[in-house]
Amino acid sequence: MKSFFRMSYPYILWIAIFIVAPMVMILLYALSRTGNSTLTFQFTLENFTKFFRDATFMRVLFTSLRIAFLTTVFCLLIGYPAALFIANLSERAQTMMVLLLTLPMWINMLLKTYAWRGILLNFDLESEMKVFIGMVYDFLPYMIIQIHTAIAKMDRELLTASYDLGANKWKTFRRVTLPLSVPGIISGITLVFLPAVSSFVIPKLLGGGDYVLIGNLIEIYFLQAGDWNFGSAISLIMALIIIASMWLTRKLDRSEQEA
Amino acid sequence: MRKLIEFRNIVKSFDGQLVLKGVNLNIYENEFVTLLGPSGCGKTTLLRILGGFLEQDEGTVIFDGQCIDKVPPYRREINTVFQRYALFPHLNVYENIAFGLRIKKLGEDIIAQKVNRMLSLVNLEGYGKRNVTKLSGGQQQRVAIARALVNEPNVLLLDEPLGALDLKLRKEMQRELKRIQQEVGITFIYVTHDQEEALTMSDKIVVMNAGEIEQIGTPLEIYNEPANAYVARFIGESNIVNGTMLEDYKVRFDDKNFDCVDFGFKENEPVDVLIRPEDIAIVKPKDGVMRGEVKSVVFKGVHYELMVETRTGTSKTVEMHVVTQHDLYNDQAQEKISANDFYVDLDDLENKDLTDQDFISIANAQAWDEDNRDISLTHVTHNIQKQTGVYSITFGTEKKTEVTVKVYVIHPEYVEDARHNIGISALDFFITADEIMESMAISTDLKTWASAEAWNLQDDSPVDITDVKFDFDPATIQEGTYEITFATQGREYKIETTSAHEAGDRVGLSFGPDDIHVMHKEVTDA
Repeated sequence: MKSFFRMSYPYILWIAIFIVAPMVMILLYALSRTGNSTLTFQFTLENFTKFFRDATFMRVLFTSLRIAFLTTVFCLLIGYPAALFIANLSERAQTMMVLLLTLPMWINMLLKTYAWRGILLNFDLESEMKVFIGMVYDFLPYMIIQIHTAIAKMDRELLTASYDLGANKWKTFRRVTLPLSVPGIISGITLVFLPAVSSFVIPKLLGGGDYVLIGNLIEIYFLQAGDWNFGSAISLIMALIIIASMWLTRKLDRSEQEA
Repeated sequence: MRKLIEFRNIVKSFDGQLVLKGVNLNIYENEFVTLLGPSGCGKTTLLRILGGFLEQDEGTVIFDGQCIDKVPPYRREINTVFQRYALFPHLNVYENIAFGLRIKKLGEDIIAQKVNRMLSLVNLEGYGKRNVTKLSGGQQQRVAIARALVNEPNVLLLDEPLGALDLKLRKEMQRELKRIQQEVGITFIYVTHDQEEALTMSDKIVVMNAGEIEQIGTPLEIYNEPANAYVARFIGESNIVNGTMLEDYKVRFDDKNFDCVDFGFKENEPVDVLIRPEDIAIVKPKDGVMRGEVKSVVFKGVHYELMVETRTGTSKTVEMHVVTQHDLYNDQAQEKISANDFYVDLDDLENKDLTDQDFISIANAQAWDEDNRDISLTHVTHNIQKQTGVYSITFGTEKKTEVTVKVYVIHPEYVEDARHNIGISALDFFITADEIMESMAISTDLKTWASAEAWNLQDDSPVDITDVKFDFDPATIQEGTYEITFATQGREYKIETTSAHEAGDRVGLSFGPDDIHVMHKEVTDA
């Protein structure tokens, strides 16, 4: 047991250096103003007040949440029937379909997004619509695979049992398949919503120069304005919103299971 | 009783494999019917066709006077208890049982009333809120039964429901199921491969084999008057011997004529004769209708199970020459080598294309270095002719370490037992005391060393050599010549008795005319 524990030291070190330390740095940056040195730490909350007082920033935050929410809903609406369809195929066909679904994920997202830019150039669409299409395209496979896994591992005999007890196909779906695939839906939502809400490549390439989401905002403050303190504050706000939404979905999942 | 279900000529195949070959079966109201057979006999397929989960290729299922071939499973008044229970993991015990009632949109108070009644029927009061995945196998079983019965079906199908339970629980559930069936008074169709389960619970047993029904009857009929050897073997312990029906009430087997109670066979028809182990009494040798030697005794709790050999098998005796082997030492290469003289059957030389490798293993030739590491033999030279005589063979290693031994090519006599259709052969052989002492399985090794084999005289198929007799102690064997006898299985009877006997006892077997049951030979498809 003890030697096992010792084997985990490198990982603990890794986590400390590359995950915990940057987080602490972000926290420190967010809570201070420019011109810090190791000796003087200038504590302030003005980065946060600046964000929440400015209507532009709030609008960007709201747009980001809205587009991420819509992307998630659409991925679920398209992804669930697709996952259900795949789960009803033969074993071989299922493997093939999952492979086909994951295939685009092997290609760099930047490349795919550039391709979409080319395609969408021919259509007269609003920036938000283009970003939305790009996001749904990029994140849909995560949703399908999560739900498919949940449905595929379900015991088929449960469906037979449901028919046996008088439920037709629709009622069997409502009362057996759907509730049993909830864990897949939850993890699918998480896997789509999180990258969607913080994405900055897709809005940048598909939305045109004037379309800004929260991810772009962070990028602008870090890389262009060089204001790491404000950038960190926005990142922290995002992180808190994400943690809150994850906590919420998990709570929903649990109350669903208890009912 | 009213006929409730009728299977008419049901045929079903999977991937070209015929699973049901035209099954006809009637099932009546309030019956406890068991479909009994080994796995793959089609019993579960038949059940699934009745449940509506599979569609037959041919034939019709009539339920309560109506053809239900096109009725989907959710509209059949039949419920099923599945083999692996198939309880809904996302619902608790109460909601699992209420599932069917909620589909029918019954009122909440009626659902509560019915579910609670079911919970007490299966002795699970107070378990309603439990998580089904946390229940024991027996409890899950009860939930599955309650979930099916609460819908008040006309027929309950049970697909090997007790298969996953341990013995004690299985016995308990057998009684429980019988009680439930009598209490609710509906037809139970029960699928199992467990003959004891079938005998205990059923009103009617349907014995199935390879997609066909072998026999339908009450447990007593099936046990006492099995239709053929297959059914007899499947239900209970049995001695089945080949016999000939001489005339009504007279059967001949094991070279003796016996009176029996069976009739209606053709004159001199070949038959299978069944005698149940508990119907044979052990008596003094002179009082028995047969005599034999007790070969083994197994204590079974209430009784002993004896195997009594009434006729020895076909045997062949050979001589084993235990010799001292001199390892040859090659100074230059620092290698040792050894091999034994051996006998070869002229027939094998002519027909079997013996290779160098075969000679190496028959002669037990081996070479090793100073550290006892094996060295491979690279060359074998000999002057063996396809003619009886004495020849020599030389085995050698790469470094020219060599040993030469004698080869006796002989034409041994086979023992041919025409009456029982068995031939047996074995050869004399040379062996060292060390090799015998090192043997882990002496009987098997003796068979190999003597090339002992037995076969059926008619079709040349191999016959097991079950008996190897010798009178030396392998642990302390000295040089010399020993006799070894190889024998095939003789005629053995299994007997259940409460009196103690020891292996080697001479006993008489006694049974009367009504202990003998004569059956038609099975008609094999092949």
